[in-house]
Amino acid sequence: MSSVLQYLLTGLSAGAIYAMIALGFYVMWSAAKAVNFTFGDIFMLGGVLTVLLRELGLPLPMAAAGAILIAALAGAVIERVFVRPFNREANAIGWMLTTIAVGTMIESATTATYGSIGRAMPTPLVEQPLRIGGAGIYWQELLIPVVLLGLTFSLEGFYRRTVLGRAMRAVAYNRVAAGLVGIDADRITMLAFALAGGIGALAGFLVAPIVQASSSMGVVVGLKGFLVAIIAGIANAPGVVITGLVYGVMEKFIEAYLSTAARDAIGFTVMILVLLLFPQGLFGRREVQKV
Amino acid sequence: MSRIPPLSIRRAVLGLGALAGFALGAAAPASAQRATPCIGASWELTGPLAHFGFALRAGVETALAEINAAGGVLGQQLRLVVYDDVGEPARAVDNGRRIGERDNCIAMLGGFRTPNAIALREPIDEMGLPWIGVVSAGTQVIEHPNGRNQWMFRVSMKDRWVAPFLVNTARARSRSGRIGIMYEGTAWGQGALPELVASMRANNTTVAATETFNIADTDMTAQLIRMRDAGVDTIMFWGVDREATNIVRSMDRLGYRPQIISAWGIGVQFAQTAGPLAEGVIVAGTFTWGGQLPERAQGVLARMQARFPEIRTPADLLMPSGTANAYDAVHIIAEALKIAGRFDRTAFRDALYRVNHQGIVANYAPAFERTQERMDAILPASYRLLVFHNGALIPLEQSPYGQPRTN
Repeated sequence: MSSVLQYLLTGLSAGAIYAMIALGFYVMWSAAKAVNFTFGDIFMLGGVLTVLLRELGLPLPMAAAGAILIAALAGAVIERVFVRPFNREANAIGWMLTTIAVGTMIESATTATYGSIGRAMPTPLVEQPLRIGGAGIYWQELLIPVVLLGLTFSLEGFYRRTVLGRAMRAVAYNRVAAGLVGIDADRITMLAFALAGGIGALAGFLVAPIVQASSSMGVVVGLKGFLVAIIAGIANAPGVVITGLVYGVMEKFIEAYLSTAARDAIGFTVMILVLLLFPQGLFGRREVQKV
Repeated sequence: MSRIPPLSIRRAVLGLGALAGFALGAAAPASAQRATPCIGASWELTGPLAHFGFALRAGVETALAEINAAGGVLGQQLRLVVYDDVGEPARAVDNGRRIGERDNCIAMLGGFRTPNAIALREPIDEMGLPWIGVVSAGTQVIEHPNGRNQWMFRVSMKDRWVAPFLVNTARARSRSGRIGIMYEGTAWGQGALPELVASMRANNTTVAATETFNIADTDMTAQLIRMRDAGVDTIMFWGVDREATNIVRSMDRLGYRPQIISAWGIGVQFAQTAGPLAEGVIVAGTFTWGGQLPERAQGVLARMQARFPEIRTPADLLMPSGTANAYDAVHIIAEALKIAGRFDRTAFRDALYRVNHQGIVANYAPAFERTQERMDAILPASYRLLVFHNGALIPLEQSPYGQPRTN
């Protein structure tokens, strides 16, 4: 029984990270119908920059805030320079290549300057695990799903109750109509990429104390976050969160009862099967266009 | 019936002659050429394994500086030519070709990864280029399946010898005799598994549990729960720093603290990322720069620090065994060149079997013998147990963990 609880706890923590990454994809997709394909590198910046800013003498909260701000700025720059010019046509796909290229550049530059090996980010929340019913979990890992829930509700509130949030929804709903009522759709899209950058970096900062901050920490997580977004139906925030948590828990049970080595293969097979049964994703809706 | 014009016959004869000359030239072994006094190397200088390249460079350049300061070899200064392979086998092969054919170096040093060394087997043999590995421990790097290795040597550990060394240590340390194996799902880890299982069988010991993990896995609780449920109290570990850190974190979550006895994939970095959780983890190796050093090694470390300011403490040498192996390998090369008396690869290769040298890792007497098995210079008698204690990697005998468990 304690084993099952252990898999649930660690699965929820891992799934919360996937869900946060997937939320970033959701925010970008909603605004631009395009995403930063190597969003895992923005996630990595959250961990790596926090470590670097701490080494410069900043206290942890300020270092984390600084890292999130820089990552948000990076998100905005990526949208302006690497997405917008390549996403002007209706079916443009150039942004896929450019975002993959910029992600590779970010990772290489980080490896060259920060170094190739991971660094620890000690926090009081990973000093002692909490014991629950024979299972163990670090406070830091418990914090991640809590932050995810807070973030999801805040995002919903932001979209519904703020002018900027409503403008983002308007752009997501109909970019042309939003422009006709005076919304600067390009600016809103850039802000959405900045917001996504901040979310990705927040996830990176939260997980770094558990897994070490390294230039390659975002590769697998970024891919799985994208996978979660696709399974959920990328345009549904609550769906993305639920799918992320379920996927994280499912991975742990696959590791426990099927195969550790085949975990990812099974996970990706599940994704393909889900997409066959639900082409719009589990929570996605078919978009109907009147012509 | 047509008649062949005389001019065409002359052209054909000339063409065939030129072709034959070209073919003969191409067939002449590179080893017959006089090589230049350079040692080539294909290392990981950039990318995620770049720190390994630096660890080797530190050892090699320090040894070369000593040799050249003493007048060089055969009246010539030895120089190092390094190419980056980013840890990729294809690039290592390209680099090997450059070193053997364009630079015409007398010898080549290997890097960190076993797959790179295995990819080099054929080109090294074709070129007749003596290759000396200083890290990659895969058994088949030296013991070729065709049994005809002539050019590849190693001053490092060998997995086939490491396995019984770990098994013996695990048996001495385990209280219950329940020993498990955890290995990374790479060619290196998968190659080690049969060696470990065979060694366990040879000692009439059963493997209580066998678990694997993927590179970059961050949570190993599932594997460890199975280990715990199987009653394992000692784990033989085959992996590297990052995953080792994630394993001890998962152990901490579970409150499960078996003894870890690791192959030498774990380096000093592990202490920095795992913090107090690294305490007591035992690693097999050939050398460590931590703890109390012999006088000669102290001098080597001081010269290395003078040459590389980034080495502030021994903890900055992240792969201590590799650095020391590389240092010894260069001195063995210099000794062999002196015996060969000329910069000729075949003469140099033959001289390697006659080198006797006291290194900082081992006393090489002789360094190599003419069997595949003994084209490895460091014998199991020179393997050492190291342990993480107070954040440093030190010899086991200098730590509080020196005595095997007695209860």
